[in-house]
Amino acid sequence: MIEIVLTVNGIQQKLAVSPEERLLDVLRDRLGLVGTKEGCGSGDCGACTVLMDGRPVTSCMVLAAAADGADILTIEGLEKNGELHPLQKAFIEEGAVQCGFCTPGMILSSLALLQENPDPDDEAIKRAIAGNLCRCTGYARIFAAIKTAAERMRSDA
Amino acid sequence: MRDKKDLKVVGTSLPRVDGVQKVRGRAVYAPDFELPRMLFAKVLWSDRAHAKIVRLDASKALKAPGVAAVVSAVDAPQNRYGVYLKDQLIFASGKVRHIGEPVAAVAAESEQAAEEALKLIEVEYDDLPTVFDPFEAQNDSAPIIHPDLETYEATYSKVAYDNVALYTHLSVGDTEKGFTEADHIFEDEYKTQAMYQGYVEPRACVVGFDQRDKLTVWTSNQQIAECHAEMAAALDIPMTEVRVVGTALGGGFGGKLKTHVEPIAALLAKKSGRPVKIVLTREEDMIASRARPPYTIRLKTGVTKDGRITARETELVADCGGYSDHVIGTMGLAVTFAQGAYKIPNCDVKGYVIYTNNPNYSCMRGYGAHQIDFANESQMDMIASRMGWDPVEFRRKNLIEDGDVLVSTQPITEVTISQTMDEALRRSEWNKKGKRKKERKENVYYGIGIGNTIINMGLLSSSAMIKFNGDGTASILTSVMDLGTGNHTALIQIAAEELGMLAEQINIAEIDSDTSPYDLGQIASRTIFDAGNAVRLAAKNAREKLYESAAELLQVPEDDLDSEGGIIFSRSDRSKEIPIAGVNGYRLWVKGGPVVGSAGWLGKPGFAEIPGEGYPQPPSKTFIFGTHIAEVEVDIETGRVTVLKVTAVHDVGQAVNPLGVQGQIEGGVVQGVGYALMEELQVKDGVIQNPDFLNYRMPTTLDIPEIDPVILEIPSEYGPFGAKGLGEPVMMGVVPAIANAIENATGVRVTEVPITAERYLQAMKKKE
Repeated sequence: MIEIVLTVNGIQQKLAVSPEERLLDVLRDRLGLVGTKEGCGSGDCGACTVLMDGRPVTSCMVLAAAADGADILTIEGLEKNGELHPLQKAFIEEGAVQCGFCTPGMILSSLALLQENPDPDDEAIKRAIAGNLCRCTGYARIFAAIKTAAERMRSDA
Repeated sequence: MRDKKDLKVVGTSLPRVDGVQKVRGRAVYAPDFELPRMLFAKVLWSDRAHAKIVRLDASKALKAPGVAAVVSAVDAPQNRYGVYLKDQLIFASGKVRHIGEPVAAVAAESEQAAEEALKLIEVEYDDLPTVFDPFEAQNDSAPIIHPDLETYEATYSKVAYDNVALYTHLSVGDTEKGFTEADHIFEDEYKTQAMYQGYVEPRACVVGFDQRDKLTVWTSNQQIAECHAEMAAALDIPMTEVRVVGTALGGGFGGKLKTHVEPIAALLAKKSGRPVKIVLTREEDMIASRARPPYTIRLKTGVTKDGRITARETELVADCGGYSDHVIGTMGLAVTFAQGAYKIPNCDVKGYVIYTNNPNYSCMRGYGAHQIDFANESQMDMIASRMGWDPVEFRRKNLIEDGDVLVSTQPITEVTISQTMDEALRRSEWNKKGKRKKERKENVYYGIGIGNTIINMGLLSSSAMIKFNGDGTASILTSVMDLGTGNHTALIQIAAEELGMLAEQINIAEIDSDTSPYDLGQIASRTIFDAGNAVRLAAKNAREKLYESAAELLQVPEDDLDSEGGIIFSRSDRSKEIPIAGVNGYRLWVKGGPVVGSAGWLGKPGFAEIPGEGYPQPPSKTFIFGTHIAEVEVDIETGRVTVLKVTAVHDVGQAVNPLGVQGQIEGGVVQGVGYALMEELQVKDGVIQNPDFLNYRMPTTLDIPEIDPVILEIPSEYGPFGAKGLGEPVMMGVVPAIANAIENATGVRVTEVPITAERYLQAMKKKE
């Protein structure tokens, strides 16, 4: 077992993990943060996307041991004092959520984009979430949600 | 019925009721569900396409660390079950018929322990001759895949023999006469692929025991009531001894019907006495999938020189793989729409569902209507182009009308195809764009194409109950799930409209076979229409009870009452009003008793009305129509097709939640683009070659066209507040529209989907 220390949604976690354990397993099975979904286990669908030190990673492709010392943000860490993040609100309002299984990963990829580029154009949005598969929406409403959230985040900033 | 202008809740884009839990990551899907002392199970899938099981020894696996139970055919009841033809068992018994068939399963303390133990199960196979081509499977020399086929029961009047799981034959008019009236006869063949549903949540379930020790299934499934029935059938127990509860559902598209791994988990739970969880890996989900079956469709169509269709003969062959599953039903629907959206007075159609040793196919969004639509709509354009006719005018001359008779002899009603077509032509600026210069840049050609769709609306039965709480709020009970489409929100809107309440005053109870009344399931575009009718009728039943008491309390006649926002009032004297909570209290404590509204709904009964052999589909209540127009660019050097824009017009009768309808259209169009250009389960010698999301390519944000989703509202006499469904047609017409646009761009016709660059270049070469 390997001793690691992670900060997950602002809370420090000390864990002993096995060499083959994935960051996704730690989040879901050890910490009960099941908002992070597993869709493929091979980094192709993006459902398990979380932010690691601010960058989006597919947590099924990151070994827990390799995340030692990292700061992790999952969907559960997005709301502040019970208030939904502008992206979460916009996803509901714009109809960007259908089955919802891709939604946590999709929102975190979107957040990574908006933190780097507060005013993304269509092309930037498409590229930022190109690794997140959604089988329900056809993506159009997701683009709308990201734009709406970006606009609100800019005016709040 | 309330006039459209009076609608208060129906027709508004309310946010979905499960939106907040989903964006917070708190919705519990089947893979997220846990119980104390839960075991994890792994399934041993057959790696042989056709083989006798000579020996199966699980003794070593049973002794492996952490293993609690191992099950195989010896632990399962030997009564066959199935949707249409009862050819299925929980585990392969005696022999395996396809790769990916369940052979045994292990439950252990951890997933890893279960995986390790699986390797210790010894299975000795004796390979049997195989057949992978549905045409070769009909030869005398082909191995027989189900030697006991004759003894299998069916839920319809079965015609099955050799490797033919279904033969169906329908006919209307006199095709011989029809062809003699024709000036030109066209014969063409089309092929559609095995397509994977591609939901992002893999199949999963937990089977354990509830607070009263009852065997209970928590599953992500589109058909909770039917899953319940099939659990009992598969386990050979009364339906009272098993309970099925729906979790949040991460997409389905026809892939999560009836049962899949649920009976396996149940056998393990019973044997170990502990809860058991199965979550398939993506690879397992694809290998053990029940994908859309591949079809080969031959059309022979006669037309007069002035462009009227006089006759058609259609032959469809579907490969169902090792077991028939829903493929039989897809064929029933495909033959129903042999004429497409056109008036063809003389039509004869034969459908064959063939057993092979390919994976177990089943169905996907569009069922069989999708495959026949691709063939019909492609041939409409091919005939027009060979005759030098305008494809729109040729369609217009032959459009089906109210009262025309389908090949199933069912008269067609509520036809709105000319409206959807006109609107699609107008919105897409067809006339202007049709004249656009074909070559845009070097080697890249522009084209535009059209595809119409017709499909059934209203399938079998639904029921609902509405109960009231002390504070005047209400709960809907029904078995229909929400696989993501937003139909729970829409059903609440329908109930709120009927009761004169606010949507936020109503919720939908957890779907639980112990308490939720029957509903066929979230399939066949039927939810808004069938479950919607049941919910509306249940709400009406409750409203009548509320009004009876309100009339007493307000001292006004019942027919003077109306309600809005949860307040019942006198129309003639607005000062007389009472909240529903007050009426409910009166009923609860003084007179009348608690209000429970209930209703059952059966759209169109039975199978008996349809003459013809082996026809497995019930008739539908009404029909839905839509038109897609696709604009493409084709690079004739690389064969790459880019879809620029899709205009998608659908008549939904009445949009209950317009934002939800828009989401259905956009999502459907993108799945249609995947069907047309990208997606195919590549199966070689019974082995799926691309069982992962890297090699089975579904559309990402980089593959999608601009979409213009257009909602037409021509109210249906039969739907709740005029509403019809739209879940399936939204992905149908786009496929032939793309194929037609490609020919319009370059003159090259591809009759097999997906139209990959390779297939395009082959067709181009053939043409030269």
